[in-house]
Amino acid sequence: MGPQLGRTVHVVIVSMPVSHHHHRHPFHSILPVQMTLWPTLVVGHPWRITETGDQQLLLKLNLTLIVWIIVVICADYFVFGFVVRYTAAREREKAQKRLEAAASRTVSPMPKGKKGSNPQPKTPVRSGAATPSRGVDQRALDISALNLTEKEEKPQIIEEPPKISFAREKLLEEAKKALDAEGRNNKKNVSLVVIGHVDAGKSTLMGRLLYELGRLDEKTRIANERGSNKAGKGSFSWAWSLDGTTEERERGITMDIALQSMVTPHRQITILDAPGHKDFIPNMISGASQADCALLVVDATTGEFEAGFNRGGQTREHILLVRSLGVSQVIVAVNKLDQTNWDKSRYDEICDFLRPFLTQSGYHSSKTKFVPVSAMQGVNLATREGDDGKVLRSWYDGPSLVDCLDQLEPPTRDIYAPLRIPISNVFKGQGSGVAVSGRLCGGVVQVGDRLRVLPGDETAIVKTIDFEEENVSWAIAGSNVTIYLTAIDPVHLNIGSVLCYPNELVPLATIFTARVIVFDIQIPITTGTSVELFHHSRDVPATIANLIATIDRATGDIVKKKPRVLTKGISAEVQLSLRTTSLSGPSVVRPIPLEPFSVNKDMGRILLRRGGETIGAGIVLEIFG
Amino acid sequence: MKLVSRHVDKHGAGHITLRPEDDEDMWHLYNLIQKGDSVGATTIRRVQKTSNTGSIDSQRVRLNLTVEVNKVEFSSYAAPTSGGDTSASGEASGPSANPATTSLHISGRVTVENPHVKLGAFHTLDIETDRNVRIEKADGWDSIALNRVEEAILPGRGAEVGAVVCGEGTAAFCLLSEHMTLVAGRISVSIPRKAAASGTSQHEKALTKFYGTLFDGFVRHIPFANVGLKAIVIASPGWVKDAVFDYMLQEAGRRGDKTLQKALKEKGVKVHTSSPHVHSLVEVLQSPQIVSQLKETKFAREGIALDKFHKMLSSDELRAWYGPDHVVLAADRGAIGTLLISDELFRASDPETRKKYVALVEAVQQKGGEVVIFSKLNQLTGIAAILTFPLDIEVVEAEEREVEEERKRAEDEEGT
Repeated sequence: MGPQLGRTVHVVIVSMPVSHHHHRHPFHSILPVQMTLWPTLVVGHPWRITETGDQQLLLKLNLTLIVWIIVVICADYFVFGFVVRYTAAREREKAQKRLEAAASRTVSPMPKGKKGSNPQPKTPVRSGAATPSRGVDQRALDISALNLTEKEEKPQIIEEPPKISFAREKLLEEAKKALDAEGRNNKKNVSLVVIGHVDAGKSTLMGRLLYELGRLDEKTRIANERGSNKAGKGSFSWAWSLDGTTEERERGITMDIALQSMVTPHRQITILDAPGHKDFIPNMISGASQADCALLVVDATTGEFEAGFNRGGQTREHILLVRSLGVSQVIVAVNKLDQTNWDKSRYDEICDFLRPFLTQSGYHSSKTKFVPVSAMQGVNLATREGDDGKVLRSWYDGPSLVDCLDQLEPPTRDIYAPLRIPISNVFKGQGSGVAVSGRLCGGVVQVGDRLRVLPGDETAIVKTIDFEEENVSWAIAGSNVTIYLTAIDPVHLNIGSVLCYPNELVPLATIFTARVIVFDIQIPITTGTSVELFHHSRDVPATIANLIATIDRATGDIVKKKPRVLTKGISAEVQLSLRTTSLSGPSVVRPIPLEPFSVNKDMGRILLRRGGETIGAGIVLEIFG
Repeated sequence: MKLVSRHVDKHGAGHITLRPEDDEDMWHLYNLIQKGDSVGATTIRRVQKTSNTGSIDSQRVRLNLTVEVNKVEFSSYAAPTSGGDTSASGEASGPSANPATTSLHISGRVTVENPHVKLGAFHTLDIETDRNVRIEKADGWDSIALNRVEEAILPGRGAEVGAVVCGEGTAAFCLLSEHMTLVAGRISVSIPRKAAASGTSQHEKALTKFYGTLFDGFVRHIPFANVGLKAIVIASPGWVKDAVFDYMLQEAGRRGDKTLQKALKEKGVKVHTSSPHVHSLVEVLQSPQIVSQLKETKFAREGIALDKFHKMLSSDELRAWYGPDHVVLAADRGAIGTLLISDELFRASDPETRKKYVALVEAVQQKGGEVVIFSKLNQLTGIAAILTFPLDIEVVEAEEREVEEERKRAEDEEGT
């Protein structure tokens, strides 16, 4: 509001002379009133007439006249300023509405997605100046009594349109152009989640890779090395560049997603380094839901690979989780091969073991790649030159890890879909603003947009957008961005909330149906099973309210209606309802933003967990409020 | 709870007078009192009197009123009323230092005439501790209700446990007693994710704030100085529990709160759970550290029965049935070995349905089956059964249909 007020003040000053001109004759019209007033005064004090001469009377008359003029000018100034400000605000509102209408016309119509949404878009700009309308009326009445009505024909003020860099259609055009140009003159953007069993060396591999690609400077590396040696954890020195918190460093375990970016010859890659420990799978899910591709790190040493892959290991669970979150490309980095003396048979054994499992889990064989690496020694990350890579060179002539990363396919970006940004992190930005980060699951966003935060009734304005550590004016679907917001209290922004345009709201759900695939579980799923529902970065308690039918995985036909239990490997349609978050007291179920898979793929994927174990993954079919 | 008087004949008619003493007794009463019962208790009512001159005089009078129950409300969020907030200071640890956190409201029409209140006027009884409550059942006392009374009046409370279930940024303070789980409070502090660059991390700052908030919440909600409290559980996935525990010990030391320090050292237990949600309390109660503390409590029995059911379900599906309709069918065939039933079914249902369930329980008991009444069985639709011999649900249902058709045919023949 600040700058707008400033502008109106400016307008008022410019218009001042005009108003003066207008009010020449109103003063005359006031004079008779003044004259009629005067005699009463004279009557009230008869002694004055005798004492004061004509001159004095004239002086008095003049004095009162001057006072009156001042009063009128003031009133006029005030009221006129008010009216100008008021009309200016109206003008601005109209312009905004026109723009909005144009924008909504150009955006591809998505009637299905609007089922639960508010049919009437909120008025985009609220003018603070227009609020005390009653006061205006009162003053206007007073003025009308003074016969100042002709003031209506005020000078036309040309108000510049609200500060939006360009209209939405233009933006879409530009985004489309940029998208088409991607890969020809600039690098394609891909986001990559790093997964694998705990202690497979994910963070170390990433730390080393960042160093190899020149993203990690020598100074930091030396500092990390010194620090980790001091803590008696020299082997974690590479991981320290991603494991930033004290606790992670103390324990030598990644606990939360670390976001980094790096550049290969043809790709700009956003890295999401996921924790491998099973207690932090919620964080891993949050990261994986923001990724297009996955880098699976497995430990090649004897016993370790098996421990990671068997029941209770995270290799298997991560592979399934990531696949069910829509990631279809995977690179398998067989790590710590130096500890097996670069044993080719071990590498082949692991590849042969994983390949059928990956195919079975739904990864296309053309989209899975295997790379032998050693993160600690830095062999075969960017190159396999040097003494350390001698043995590997003797039997391996395939691509290095960077070569593989350089060929990752970017995701399809649906820029015409309604904007959806599930928030994965909220933190304090520079100054007074608040920053959120997340991945755009459709649509485009640009600086100056007003976004609605769901669930909730709040809106915010986009101040700046950061993408790959650069300040950009707009961002398209599929990019991991950090957005700085203004005009909102940070308490309204929660991890898991979704940002969208006020006229294209994402539906909120408490009860919905979903098609799920049941994972390898011990205790079957029954009606009323309590689960934790994972959707992007959100994690809420839910109940499987109803088992609707079991479904044939291949054909999609209904096998059996109303099954009693769901055992492992079954595909089924179920009804889920969110649980109240309290065991006792008032039962309030807070809805979560969700969309059917058919409307928005990224917004329609869910995961179900129970007792620290992922029991199923699914897609949202229909939302029942 | 104290049994003051009991006048119930063999048909179940009569009344029982009880004196609730703590929160759990309120829970028992909540389960005992049903719509239609008549309940008498002392209460305060504002009585208006119009004098001869027409002026209205309003007074609050303590009365003994009897109402015919229309609605029973149980809430665990009432403000601490009596005894002050003993836990806040940590000094006074009297025998009943536990501040009342629950309240029970019973509303209905007044059925016994009183000089101050007209017959048929509405009144809401606010049940208070240490005041007698006289209950007369509309349909007489059934076995379930009498069992509940027996259970409630057993002297010597089962172990009480205070638990904090936390995750990064969230925590729920729970009080567990034999029959009841109370969520006394929750906190949630938004914690930014770790930053790419370490150093002035907002993450750590927010964490410290979270620990501070949690400490305050703990002091407010968990009566750690209470002798009756057997254990203080800090449960979480990951290492939040360790960090929280260490912080609390340190903070207690810093504030010079010896009682808290002692309580934490003596009763503090760290338990690993898989999620930061309140329902992972189940994991807490099944953990070996707690099982040894809560041996032979109702919860342990429930856990064992539920485990047995799930194991049966995964190994022999035909011997584990659930859902009201199916369980009734199994009972008809005398197949039920163990019946698992939620007390919610007795509480929430109308008298007819309640009778049905009571009859079911009695039938199972008669045939030598075991009945486990759960104080919280959210899953499995509230009722489940482990059968003594396998029965195929579809065959049974087909049989039922046949019988039904037979009956219809017979009816038709009679009609013609």
